[in-house]
Amino acid sequence: MKLRVPFNIALGITTELVYTIFIMLAAFFICLIIYFKI
Amino acid sequence: MILRPRLEDVKTIGYYLGKIILGLAFTMLIPVVLGLAFAEINPVLDFIIAFEAALAFGLILIRLCATDKDLSWMQGMIVVSLSWLAAMVLGAIPLYLSGHWKSFLDACFDAMSGFATTGLTLVQNLDHLSYTHNLWRHLIMFIGGQGIVIVALSFFVKGLAGAFKMYVGEARDERIMPNVISTSRFIWMVSMAYLVLGTLALGVTGMLGGMSAMNAFFHGACVFMAAFDTGGFAPQSQNILYYHSSAFEIITVMIMILGAINFKLHYHVWMGNRREIVKNIETITLFVAIMTTFAITAAGLAQTGIYPSAVLLFRKGFYQLVSGQTGTGFQTIYPAQFVLEWSPLGIAGVICAMALGGAVCSTTGAIKMLRVGIIFKAMKEDLKRIMLSERAIITEKFHHIKEVFLEDKQVRSALMITLCYFILYGLGALVGMYYGYPFKDSLFESTSAAANVGLSCGMTGVNMPTGLKLTYIFQMWAGRLEFMSVFTLLGFLVATLKGKR
Repeated sequence: MKLRVPFNIALGITTELVYTIFIMLAAFFICLIIYFKI
Repeated sequence: MILRPRLEDVKTIGYYLGKIILGLAFTMLIPVVLGLAFAEINPVLDFIIAFEAALAFGLILIRLCATDKDLSWMQGMIVVSLSWLAAMVLGAIPLYLSGHWKSFLDACFDAMSGFATTGLTLVQNLDHLSYTHNLWRHLIMFIGGQGIVIVALSFFVKGLAGAFKMYVGEARDERIMPNVISTSRFIWMVSMAYLVLGTLALGVTGMLGGMSAMNAFFHGACVFMAAFDTGGFAPQSQNILYYHSSAFEIITVMIMILGAINFKLHYHVWMGNRREIVKNIETITLFVAIMTTFAITAAGLAQTGIYPSAVLLFRKGFYQLVSGQTGTGFQTIYPAQFVLEWSPLGIAGVICAMALGGAVCSTTGAIKMLRVGIIFKAMKEDLKRIMLSERAIITEKFHHIKEVFLEDKQVRSALMITLCYFILYGLGALVGMYYGYPFKDSLFESTSAAANVGLSCGMTGVNMPTGLKLTYIFQMWAGRLEFMSVFTLLGFLVATLKGKR
């Protein structure tokens, strides 16, 4: 049980970092759409 | 009939204000320790003078206004608004003593900009500022981002009655845990965990870029504090452009977005409810808002063709946009480039992003995503009412940690705060135009100040008129506290002058 909290925190931080990466990728996709008119 | 406040009200306000100031005084010892480590004797003396002034002011207030009474809602709100003004004045003392600010008003401007996590600055010769003063500039952003009252509640003030009333007064209407003290401590836990990770990531990146280890980690810590607390100060005058590093830019974008997330959401995601990040109204609205405003900005920038590749558009366009949306104010372009190189459509996208902001109960300013989400849900509900049968029962709900049914009072509150922000943005723009600045520049800078962003198109500078400096200080203060505490203080002053005994 004691191990569970740090493990959850580590996974929580990873989840939040994935969210930020997802936003950046989506923004980069907009850049690609604009320049290559996909 | 307005009643004149009693002496007992003033004493209660003074007593709790003294306690908060005492807490603030002790934070000034952190730069003293760093200054001693770097053998910066004169800067250390500046902070000792400021520490003594704050300590004396806090102790005098506590002694003169000693009371055992609990705070009322009105008193709690007034304590918060006065705490921020006192923090501005006391926090400006070491800045002014450094000699890098032209006047005490300029130092107050930077102190308020720091505490309110705005990032507009009037500092001169920043590149030669001492480590001690530079740490203080970033530390006040870290303190102000969490909240001055939160700092006092977490570390310095034990068993303070009426804590929740001050917590709400500081524009944090969401209690993460049942107890406000444990809520404050959780907010610090998140910030400290990310401080370690962020400083490490930025420090290593700086070292790989050729900086010495000591400089890299000092810059890393300072830039982290300004990014996570969506502040926008940087240790060098060129801001983030100084580092010329795409890795540094990507890491700071990630930290800025993390800083724009609701602390309550951090709590639930960290406690195992990870799906909340894809269901929450705020994270969804933040994603949609960033994409929409960036699409506008990118279309505007593509028109001018100043960034001839997708990568450049991302590095320059998206960076300024996300810096504006999260209310940070980091720049990888010079302020004048906004005016000289960016198209009006590109600037309009950034102004919209700045005006919207990040999540409630985060370190960002502006209207905020929960309110934007609620307003759109209310519009959807009204549209359904028109489109569907008159006999249909129409309800709208949104997901914010749990399923919440949309109520009129939530919509009214969201609209009221949104209206106040629009008035504040407009007020600053009018004052800017009064002093002869163009409409576009005035609106940009005013929105940046009121939404606690810190992006500048070059208007903010040592030589700007005093009236404009005072206007921006007011905007930063009112915008950070989300109006209620400020309105309560104004009401209290009116009651003192015109109230019946």
